[in-house]
Amino acid sequence: MDIKRVTLLGNKDHGKSTLIGSLLIATGSATKQRIEEAKNVSRKLGRNFEPGFILDSFEEEREGGLTIDTTRAQITYKDAAFEFIDVPGHEELIGNMISGASYGDFAVLMVSAKDGEGITEQTRRHLMLAKLLGISRVVVAVNKMDAVAYKKEKFELIMDAVNGFCTNIGFEPGSVVFVPISAYNADNLVKRSARIRWYVGKPLMELVYEAASAKKRSSNGLRLLFQGTIKSGRKTLYTGKIVNGRLQRGQKIRIMPVGRNAVVNSIYVKGKEMRTASEGQNVALEIFGAHATRGCVGFDLESNPRCGTEFNAMVFSVEKIPKKVQLRMNGSELMADVAVFGEVDLKSGRIKEAHSIKPLGTGKAKIRLLESTIIESAIECPEMGRFLLYDSGRFAGIGIID
Amino acid sequence: MIMQDIGNLEEKSAYIIRETKEKFGNVAALWSGGKDSTAMIMIARRAFLGKVPFPVIHIDNGIDFPETYKFRDDLAKKWNLDLIVAKSRIKPELSGFSCCGSNKTDALKEVMKEHGFDALIVSIRRDEHGIRAKERYFSPRDTEFKWNYKDQPAELWNNYSSKMDTKGHVRVHPILDWNEIDIWQYTMKMKVPVNPLYYSSNGYRYRSLGCTHCTVPVKSNAKSIRQIMDELKVTETEERAGREQDKEKAYVMEKLRALGYM
Repeated sequence: MDIKRVTLLGNKDHGKSTLIGSLLIATGSATKQRIEEAKNVSRKLGRNFEPGFILDSFEEEREGGLTIDTTRAQITYKDAAFEFIDVPGHEELIGNMISGASYGDFAVLMVSAKDGEGITEQTRRHLMLAKLLGISRVVVAVNKMDAVAYKKEKFELIMDAVNGFCTNIGFEPGSVVFVPISAYNADNLVKRSARIRWYVGKPLMELVYEAASAKKRSSNGLRLLFQGTIKSGRKTLYTGKIVNGRLQRGQKIRIMPVGRNAVVNSIYVKGKEMRTASEGQNVALEIFGAHATRGCVGFDLESNPRCGTEFNAMVFSVEKIPKKVQLRMNGSELMADVAVFGEVDLKSGRIKEAHSIKPLGTGKAKIRLLESTIIESAIECPEMGRFLLYDSGRFAGIGIID
Repeated sequence: MIMQDIGNLEEKSAYIIRETKEKFGNVAALWSGGKDSTAMIMIARRAFLGKVPFPVIHIDNGIDFPETYKFRDDLAKKWNLDLIVAKSRIKPELSGFSCCGSNKTDALKEVMKEHGFDALIVSIRRDEHGIRAKERYFSPRDTEFKWNYKDQPAELWNNYSSKMDTKGHVRVHPILDWNEIDIWQYTMKMKVPVNPLYYSSNGYRYRSLGCTHCTVPVKSNAKSIRQIMDELKVTETEERAGREQDKEKAYVMEKLRALGYM
């Protein structure tokens, strides 16, 4: 069975940890021992049973009621298995949030319907980040419906606002769906709740199940990211990972950015010599005709790789991004100049002209490199079209090639 | 317990182990003779076409089970492993938290210093313990071995911490994604040798192996890997339920790990 990874997004205190705790219980995915432990800790802290304690296991997280770092919980539903990735909702831990969210294939966004909570800047920022991280489907769980007497209008207000924002930042119609829930009372999590009769849609887990079955598109050419070398007897073999397509023994490949052709003489996968290797596999290769170093990419001869020193990108800034940065992409570390020409207005989701991106903001920039590299858009090949930005060793942001 | 696709899991682990060798100059792995670190070594053997390209360290506190010593020596010979035995001293007055914190961690610190390792591969899994769920694949430790879990480096899109990111060393966790049952599935499929203590004897077996002082067996009639897996599919207890140091008080694992415990 393959586990589908679900990123849980949303403002702090909107109930993410509680949701996972409740789901673990409602789907029978938590052991009795873990539930007992969570009950004991709740009691020790003098609180009502908090389902989120099944997850949050740092002393500070339990006592402070916040998630500090990514947590994962495995949940079975019908014939499928899901791993819910709970990420911290508060700003100062955005690095942790991005790390956690980057492992998800799709997302559940929590928005509290409670008065004074609702859609926040953080809610919109998380949606923006989801888009940048390549998450194309979102299930929006409108939570704490119990705190607003399960009123339909409260749900619809949030639905309309989130929908508008998602359209502006480029989510396709129909890729964002909504369900009213109470994570604490387990309303509409696995079964339709009798307390929300006006809602005729599916419960949360069913929507998650459907979002997970959506197919991801892929291009068909070979993309082999070279990692380094290993020794086998007297031979030196090149290691790498195939992120797209297939590779055959005897095949001629083009190695970029060096621009030379090579013949694949032998392929090893998991220690065995093979005739072919395919997407997702780590290979060790004997190749003739060219050298490939870390950061090189192998293409089939039909593909038409683009190389250059300049490209446009969408960039999320974790800390202020200086004009000169280090860019980590495809295993290489490259020095780059960043020239910002637009910023996303977080209220509307539209891009306006700007020459810098505020920390925790998203914008458009022209990136110039000192040396030529392979430029592939994130839409064509996500693994190759994305990069991390560092400012003197500090993580400063992430980006995707347009 | 959810069983995953071990083919995909092995690909991810192999990538991480190769990445470790590529980015660090002096790599070592911890090997307890338990199922997890033994499976990890099998993955490394396959990723490097038969030869494990780094030494394996056994932290020997002198009170491990006789079966574990025999298993260690036999397999080290069979797989041609570069085995380093790091002896730790048992202080009889300590037990549980203080024992693991002081003895095992001290011995590890000594051996790391002696050999100057800059990366240490540790075979922990997320599903073992709530705290371990918070770990990164590459996790920098300072010179005192402390784990700053509040300010962990960003880790995404196959970009990992390197030795540039710490003055201490980097802990590498290649099998973080595996569940207990996946390890058994892999062990069975790849015919990885198994420490006999995992099989039932007189109605009990060890589910998680520590030293003789602090590990207790669980009730079980499983005499084969298949039977172990059948039991795990329906179990209601946690894997480390037989580990004394985890239970002493809430948050003990968090403290152990912050101090440099594996």
